[in-house]
Amino acid sequence: MAAERYDAVVVGAGHNGLVTAAYLAKAGPRTLVLERRSRAGGPLATEELAPGVRAPLLADGVGGLQSGVVADLGLRAHGFHALEPDTVAWAPSTDGTSLTLWRDPVRTATELRARPDPRDAEAFLELDRRVRSLAGFVARLQASEPPDLGSPSLADAGTGVTLLNALRRLGREQLREALRVLPMSVADLVGEAVEDELLRGVLGVRGVRYSAMGPRSAGTALNFLWDSAAGGGAAGRTVFARGGPDALVNALLAAARRHGATVRCDAEVAAIRTRDGAVEGVALASGEEIDAGVVASSADPKRTLLGLLDPAEVGPTLGWRAEHIRAPGVVAKVTLVLDGLPTFGGADEERLRGRIVVAPSLDHVERAFNDSKYGRISGEPYLEASIPSLSDPSLAPEGTHVMGVLFQYAPHDLREAAWNQAANDRVADAAVRTLEVHAPGLTERIVARRVVTPAELEQDYGLSGGHPMHGEHALDQFFAWRPLLGHARYRLAGIRGLYLCGAGAHPGGGITGGPGRNAARAILADLPRTRRLGARRSRPSRVG
Amino acid sequence: MIGGGHNGLVAAAYLARAGLKVVVLERRHVLGGAAVTEEVFPGFRFSVASYVVSLLRPEIVRELALPRHGLEILPLDGTFTPLEDDYLWRVNDHGRTVRELRRWSPSDAEAYEDYSRLMVEMARFVKPILSMAPPDPGRFHPREWLPVARLGRDFKNLPSEQQTVFVQLMTMSAADFLDQWFETDPLKATMSASGIIGTFQGVRSPGTAYVLLHHYMGEIDGVLRAWGIPRGGTGAVSNSIAEAARSLGVEIRTEAPVEQLLIHGDEVTGVVLGSGEEVTARLTLSSLDPRQTFDRLTPAGHLDPAFLEEVGRYRYRGSSGKVNLALDGLPDFTCLPGAGDHLRGAISFSPGVDYLEVAYDDAKSGRFSRRPYIDMVIPTLVDPSMAPPGKHVLSCFVQYAPYHLADGDEWDDARREAFGDAVIDTIAERAPNIRELILHRQVLTPRDIEERFGLSEGNIFQGELSLEQLFFNRPLPGWARYRTPLRNLWMCGSATHPGGGIMGASGRLGALQVLRSLRARKAA
Repeated sequence: MAAERYDAVVVGAGHNGLVTAAYLAKAGPRTLVLERRSRAGGPLATEELAPGVRAPLLADGVGGLQSGVVADLGLRAHGFHALEPDTVAWAPSTDGTSLTLWRDPVRTATELRARPDPRDAEAFLELDRRVRSLAGFVARLQASEPPDLGSPSLADAGTGVTLLNALRRLGREQLREALRVLPMSVADLVGEAVEDELLRGVLGVRGVRYSAMGPRSAGTALNFLWDSAAGGGAAGRTVFARGGPDALVNALLAAARRHGATVRCDAEVAAIRTRDGAVEGVALASGEEIDAGVVASSADPKRTLLGLLDPAEVGPTLGWRAEHIRAPGVVAKVTLVLDGLPTFGGADEERLRGRIVVAPSLDHVERAFNDSKYGRISGEPYLEASIPSLSDPSLAPEGTHVMGVLFQYAPHDLREAAWNQAANDRVADAAVRTLEVHAPGLTERIVARRVVTPAELEQDYGLSGGHPMHGEHALDQFFAWRPLLGHARYRLAGIRGLYLCGAGAHPGGGITGGPGRNAARAILADLPRTRRLGARRSRPSRVG
Repeated sequence: MIGGGHNGLVAAAYLARAGLKVVVLERRHVLGGAAVTEEVFPGFRFSVASYVVSLLRPEIVRELALPRHGLEILPLDGTFTPLEDDYLWRVNDHGRTVRELRRWSPSDAEAYEDYSRLMVEMARFVKPILSMAPPDPGRFHPREWLPVARLGRDFKNLPSEQQTVFVQLMTMSAADFLDQWFETDPLKATMSASGIIGTFQGVRSPGTAYVLLHHYMGEIDGVLRAWGIPRGGTGAVSNSIAEAARSLGVEIRTEAPVEQLLIHGDEVTGVVLGSGEEVTARLTLSSLDPRQTFDRLTPAGHLDPAFLEEVGRYRYRGSSGKVNLALDGLPDFTCLPGAGDHLRGAISFSPGVDYLEVAYDDAKSGRFSRRPYIDMVIPTLVDPSMAPPGKHVLSCFVQYAPYHLADGDEWDDARREAFGDAVIDTIAERAPNIRELILHRQVLTPRDIEERFGLSEGNIFQGELSLEQLFFNRPLPGWARYRTPLRNLWMCGSATHPGGGIMGASGRLGALQVLRSLRARKAA
């Protein structure tokens, strides 16, 4: 029988896959999205943890989502509404004090004046200004297709000029500052700016979140600025989707479908079919084959290059390089269903609406990281908890609350143990124990708890190394060399019609839609050519 | 010229060579700064601080004809890594090293061949950077950027495999980089250890891979081996440079500590010595680090506060110490008994990557490593003149010993001795007889290094060689071209690009920039 034919197939219905599909379909090509799991959304998944309580298992914030994506795809019309509480973060210290980062930096500064080191109030505002002024440039960087350093083309020159102008706009001093700051460690970046250990902690963790690095590692300052591109200045942003991450997934699905894309779940792609260095289509685990001149994979680059492609097509050198893409997952997520709002010392309800950051000092975080270097789960972890049900009561029944707790560090490769129930419990217990210190009585309120570890991220979500960002965000896997030098422009492995559109590509991970959007742009730029070739190549297979 | 360290002497020599009348002012009674030989104990002469010659630029050796002025580098053959009941021993003889590696892992032995070949290629590519004055990203001067553009073109012409490796070298941690090639833990540890020397970073800290290249630079320099010991200790290098300088007419004064810069308006017109004597000069060069130059020597009120703030931001964070031992005989390693050739090279206490990381963790929490990384050499085996007959000197470079201790503790005699003991204990675990052999011991903490050599916070490179303090950021953004905000004051110490090691490149590049500006002024 003749294989079904599409112009473009997107592998994986995570948010980036859906974004790519929506952009493609919107521009015309017949697009099909194939998802292995029974639900779209990938790590935006939710699960019923208790009767009537659907809770996000992994990502619950959507603060990084590019406004361009929301606008282009009309996500609001499809039911996506961002909830941004006035509280960005609340951070308790070991000495019983705490501080709050507000959306309004001036309000934050006002409270900082009451802290042991009042000079930090002005220092914070100064840092906030610096971060905001660099954020514009970083955002432009994230939105642009990395140049081909190997053999620059005219287009690359164009990109270069745009970026240079963006840099120029920073002004000489800012530019020098930017070049000094980018390769720094976040500990040095915030350490230079402010004195208060607690403030350093709550700001600095933004440079190590989802990363297998400690705050003293070079490149974490870049992650901090990367995360600031979406706005929010030094404090960053805390944004939830009304109705939970599901609402965003549904909006993306609706947008993709409205533009004519087809989304099939329970359809696992077993292989990307290629011939003579060009894409032919995909083969499903069921044995079914689908033809397409364009295949965009939102799976991570390791999985795509080593799992879905014919090794002969990839070649030994690229294969070797793909194996060495660093994806050391260290993030676990503990979700708690509570039969009431826990009382955190010194925090009224409003302060708990943002992220609750347990990182009393950067040394604390560095020690937590030390454990992971030796394959151990952090004994005293750094945690980020959020209670979205505070900003959005619709998430849980009256009186019940859902608390999502990001746990670092829980390394994918444990030395003296395997990831089993016991290990999962160690993570959950460490999280609860740590929170209990700041919220006495929390333990009694727990109705249900669920732990997602790097092992599960790899098993159930197909993330190599259990790394939520499809590969470490570090200086060596960044911009023009993310995922690999020579393959950073969404066109993968030199195979015609093959693209990478997931977090493994620039600008990387997080709920941003950035990679999906940039990839779609690259695909559409190539499309006329690819489609023609695709049609020519698919003829024989039709006959046979 | 302020400071008679190797960079100061090199710069002085180049200026004199161009016909300038130069005087070098050295605070101490000996020349060489950290590249100095001293008779610490009667009959025992030590390279007190810097102990091996790594990257002394061949153009300097050539242009200053150093061999004629007494420079002789004795090869330091191989690196010996003692383990509990085994060892890893690499030597300059490639074949033998590969055979030794095969004993550990056939695949590593194979990878080592490709790795070495590739690294030599990379070293050839990055070498120009060492003799290049960094451009200022803050403005666009075609002449400044030309060398960088050339480098870009060379990069474009590299095979894609080498382009990747270059990016990795500039961005990865030494351990992660080597993980791609090797599986043998002691091998990875010993190789990556070179990436942390003198820095407050661990072998798993991004940005430490680049230094791996330095070990391959020597091979292509040809003139010298990558690593060696000067006959007469590292002080002999300084002395040969000093001889060269004198022969070019440079006046060198020791025990002439500079107290203060003489400044009229925004122009430096000379210096005031401790004795009160004033030395006026058209040009003043400082081979000291920024803190010494701008905080200690510059009278208040002459520098823009914003600039001083940046000076304050520049990071030193000394992380290493030095233990020098006078020995009655040779250490006997349980894993390879006897006084074999394995003692003639570097002896590296780096059994595994975790061992080094644990040592780093200690430093991060503000204490010296209980089991430190030690790079040990026994100069008397290649240069007996350093000790009385039958006796030996042993020099240990030790990391980590943080300058800043936890809870505001300060380095005092007790802590210095405790640190020394930790080093001896570590050695004794592999060579138990060391204890009986020790006749004298000298322990230098970062604090001692600061006081003795005037290196702020005891950083042996005049400031951390971390990514944000390299190239056009070294020492300060906008001031990487050896100039300073004060007219006629220049920098030429290790705190300027490329910095680090007994390279002399900073002194040479500084001097050349000075001369260029003089020519420009004449032209104008």
